[in-house]
Amino acid sequence: MKKFLTFAFFVLAVLLVLTSCNKQPEKLYVYNWANYIPQEVVQSFEKEYNCDVVYDFYSSNEEMYAKLKAGGTGYDIIFPSADYAQIMINEDMLEKLDKAKVPNLSNIEQSSLMKMSYDINQQYCLPYMIGSTGLAVNTKYVKEYDHSWTIFERSDLKGKMSLLDDMRETLGAALKFLGYSVNTVKEAELEQAKQLVLKWKENILKFDGLSNAKNYANSEYYVIHGYGDSIFLELDEEMLKNTDYFIPKEGGTLWIDNMVMLKNSKHKELAYKFMNYIYEPKIYAQISDYVQLPSINIPAREFITVQPMYKEGELDNCELIMDLGKDIELYNKVWQEIRMQN
Amino acid sequence: MKKNYGPVYSLPLGLWITIFFIVPTCIIFIYSFLTKATYGGVQWQFSLEGYKALANTSFINVVWITVYISVISTFLTVLFAIPTAYYIARNKHKNQLLLLVIIPFWTNFLIRVYAWIAILGNNGFVNNILVKLGVIDTYIQFLYNQYAVILVIIYTYLPYAILPLYSSIEKFDFSLLEAARDLGATKAQAFFKVLLPNIKGGLATSILFTFIPALGSYVIPMLVGGKDSMMLGNIISRELTTTRNWPLASSISVVLTVITMIGVLLFLKLNKNNLESIKKLVVREKAGEESI
Repeated sequence: MKKFLTFAFFVLAVLLVLTSCNKQPEKLYVYNWANYIPQEVVQSFEKEYNCDVVYDFYSSNEEMYAKLKAGGTGYDIIFPSADYAQIMINEDMLEKLDKAKVPNLSNIEQSSLMKMSYDINQQYCLPYMIGSTGLAVNTKYVKEYDHSWTIFERSDLKGKMSLLDDMRETLGAALKFLGYSVNTVKEAELEQAKQLVLKWKENILKFDGLSNAKNYANSEYYVIHGYGDSIFLELDEEMLKNTDYFIPKEGGTLWIDNMVMLKNSKHKELAYKFMNYIYEPKIYAQISDYVQLPSINIPAREFITVQPMYKEGELDNCELIMDLGKDIELYNKVWQEIRMQN
Repeated sequence: MKKNYGPVYSLPLGLWITIFFIVPTCIIFIYSFLTKATYGGVQWQFSLEGYKALANTSFINVVWITVYISVISTFLTVLFAIPTAYYIARNKHKNQLLLLVIIPFWTNFLIRVYAWIAILGNNGFVNNILVKLGVIDTYIQFLYNQYAVILVIIYTYLPYAILPLYSSIEKFDFSLLEAARDLGATKAQAFFKVLLPNIKGGLATSILFTFIPALGSYVIPMLVGGKDSMMLGNIISRELTTTRNWPLASSISVVLTVITMIGVLLFLKLNKNNLESIKKLVVREKAGEESI
């Protein structure tokens, strides 16, 4: 009898916990890049819509995609870059958006929307940020330099530089330098790019995509290839003064990060509200200030207080990285040869 | 008749190992023979592509680097672990010292690796002190090479090597050493011919505890390794994520498992004779005790 009572009590307790869950505010599950949205924005959204935002981070598209592909579910909104957004559209993982529920989309400038060749008319993807991968140079140690990829050929900076451990970005840089498309599938062009990266490899300390910004902040590297927003977050006042961030004159890769909704999302209404909220001018300005990227939201530009790390005009020379389907094998092969050769 | 409860008692562990070890290993094995799907995952179609892709010099080079780094680090780890374990086992403050060995586990492994970056970086602790003392003019590049990988592997797995050695040295009857010395053995002979054979079990465990995880290193070469320190673990992760070639990632995992198994079997075989003789000795001793 005593045992039965204990059991009954236990069941009661479990039921109590379960029902109390139902009274809690609705939850929105967001899976985003690390340090890509200021905490205040998330908090003010939670307050305004009386909900909980459960936030999860990833550090690369590949990591996010592998997790989803291996059965990771439960997320509502994800922020993939163009090539992965394209893959996810092809793989039928994304929800077709009802744009009427995101009226603030009208704030986004037309020229940015035009760049989204992977999803014309924004059927699945709404642009979050557009930018380019560039170079940061520590001007305290490197006095004279060109705004060019040729900086990686300078043997006087040997062991003081790093390239991204990302085949599309690094091969893309080399391809652009050679005057080819970053999405080329011509073997001869890729071979030339490979030879160029091998030449650059002699002067870099390592291919680093994980701690390059940290190591740059510690003056371990004087020159790094990387995403401006992740670099700037690591720098203190003095380093900020000594850092010149630019997109090389030969151009580089362009990326567009998108907000997408997963097909199996359980909180679609709230997700629409979140997307619309991001596009509100004041909110978008806050995000833009945080990541120091130029605003693609026209009315938000009035509220910008922080100078972006580069002007939009600099992006004219940059090319969007697209998904190449099966042809990606060509890149895999070349990159493997670059990485494994000693 | 006595009922045999053995299978019942071992059921939880058996289930655990089956579900979380045997089944996943089988899945990896099967995946390695399937066809790659363009966007990750596999197509259910037999293919040997995963293994054909391994037959190139750059891959064999990575296998070689992996084995080389693992063997060197295991050797050095055990070399450092033996005197430490010996010292602890013979010390009055055994328990306190053992606690010191375990203390690093209180901090997250990743943070400890980053700590090494802070210590050995070009603007790190060691370089700063050396420059201040005037020993060197400019920094020494400690990090981002194979030596840094070996150093951090040794640091990480040293406790795993010390603990089994400690437990076997502690059980060792030290009067045997005195007896050996009385009978004319030099200190070195006493160590190699009396102590070492008697702690063989602990030695074997500590070698395996270091070698196996070292082979599968992934985070350490990624964080403190350089252009020359790519190990098998790093390629597996690259094939799984960046290139989305799951069959290749699986076939490399199979290769890694096979290398590990060969290493372990070879090692056990080498040890077998010694182990057998120890067992016989123990049996004889027990029999002797009983007859007394």
